[in-house]
Amino acid sequence: MDARNFTFMFYGFTAAWLIVLIYVVSLARRGARLKKELENVKQLIHSEDTAREQRLEDRVR
Amino acid sequence: MKPLYQAFSVARKDLAVEFRTKESLNAAAAFSVAILLLFSFAFDPFSDTIHELAGGLLWLTFAFAGALVFNRGFSRELPNECLDTLLASPLEPSSLLIGKAIGVFFLLLIVEVISLCVFGIFYGMRWWLHPGELALTCGLTTWGIAIVGSVFGALTVNLRLRELMLPVIIYPLLIPLLIGAIETTNTLLIEQPFTGYEWLWAKVLLVFDIVFTSLAVALAETILVN
Amino acid sequence: MREKLAIALAAAGGALLVYNLYQMFLVLPDEAMQGAIYRILFFHAPAAIVGMVGYFVALTFSVLYLSSKDLRWDSLAASIVEVSLVFSLINICTGSIWARIIWGIWWTWDYRLTSALVCVLIFAGYLMLRRAIDEPTQRGRLSAALCIFGCVDVVIVWKSIEWFRNQHPGPVLSIRTGGGHMDPAMERIFWLNGLALLLIAIALVLIRTRQEATTREIDSLRRLAHAV
Repeated sequence: MDARNFTFMFYGFTAAWLIVLIYVVSLARRGARLKKELENVKQLIHSEDTAREQRLEDRVR
Repeated sequence: MKPLYQAFSVARKDLAVEFRTKESLNAAAAFSVAILLLFSFAFDPFSDTIHELAGGLLWLTFAFAGALVFNRGFSRELPNECLDTLLASPLEPSSLLIGKAIGVFFLLLIVEVISLCVFGIFYGMRWWLHPGELALTCGLTTWGIAIVGSVFGALTVNLRLRELMLPVIIYPLLIPLLIGAIETTNTLLIEQPFTGYEWLWAKVLLVFDIVFTSLAVALAETILVN
Repeated sequence: MREKLAIALAAAGGALLVYNLYQMFLVLPDEAMQGAIYRILFFHAPAAIVGMVGYFVALTFSVLYLSSKDLRWDSLAASIVEVSLVFSLINICTGSIWARIIWGIWWTWDYRLTSALVCVLIFAGYLMLRRAIDEPTQRGRLSAALCIFGCVDVVIVWKSIEWFRNQHPGPVLSIRTGGGHMDPAMERIFWLNGLALLLIAIALVLIRTRQEATTREIDSLRRLAHAV
């Protein structure tokens, strides 16, 4: 009984920490994905800006 | 009185449309009968245990059949921009919401009466012995289903995944209501009158209805107007 | 700035946790009736409290969103619900493991257990709903309404089942009983652990709201890109 009692206490603590750990990992992954997406969008806008400037310059010429 | 009058005219319109086409009424009634038939294979229909389960079977059936009814309530108004027209009309948003709920309420009551008749025949239940208490339970629970269904039907009306999301949201919210209905109906189906225990549950149903109806009225404008 | 605050809070919570774990395992003795497993209580109940408080804080922010239409409140409410759900899950899992030893069963339909489960169902639905809607204002409106209805619903479930299904241990903390049910040394660690979990929860919420802000930024940049 006592050994089982102790094992289940261990399971309880493991479960609690595992859930937090899984959440933190998913949070970190989502954060990384968002960061990448932000970079992509920024780059997209930047390239579009330069393309427009290029077109304007062409027209001036 | 005017908001209530408006609500009833919305309900009358809905019921008139529904009785002309009988789309959701037929679907819900057919669904309930089919489910009740299937339950007779899940349990021995003439054993004593069925009496202890009967309330649960009935209310689960009604709750699922209800989804077929309140699902249509607002989405019926989508073609031809009827919903926008209704919102642009002098109707109070809360009247529109309550009116829709009244319409759903009556349709669900019809489905319940049909199912109860079928249930009485298929399972040998004598559910009519305490009509007042049965009417009270059905009325309070059905109104709860109707108002919650209408609120979330209205909120999700423009949603691409409406059919998927509506049950996920609504059934957890209906849990206290359905527990109460099942507890009281079980007593009625073993042919006993209400005792203090069942009256307490009836009070829970009443509180649920009052709280959720007032919330719906208070939030009607945010729910309906984009 | 916000990241630094989040890291500081998480670090403080972590340090407090280390101290608590030391106290729990090496200083406090086993409980007389339950043996070693009572230590689950130090995580089980604070997680429940943090989760429940979270839902009602989210309710406040949902109301704020509906009255101000400021999407920041909406993100805050959503972040809090998400973190609260994590703590509710911890609460249910640890409780279930405790019940297996003390009651001999994993689950019972006690009112606290039932309302905790209803809570998890409703707010899991909340998060699913948010994923299903792309348009931010519609998402905010719908999830705020669901949060309000959900919190009210949990109160009704709690109150209605309370008087007829009660197997869960009653209150032991001195704020509920006036003292005498729990050893003060244990109660001190209980509250300290509650504080540690709260700090970690706030840190997680801060990180999550930061991500929500990034999502909004991406959205507006996308719109800009389309406009150009």
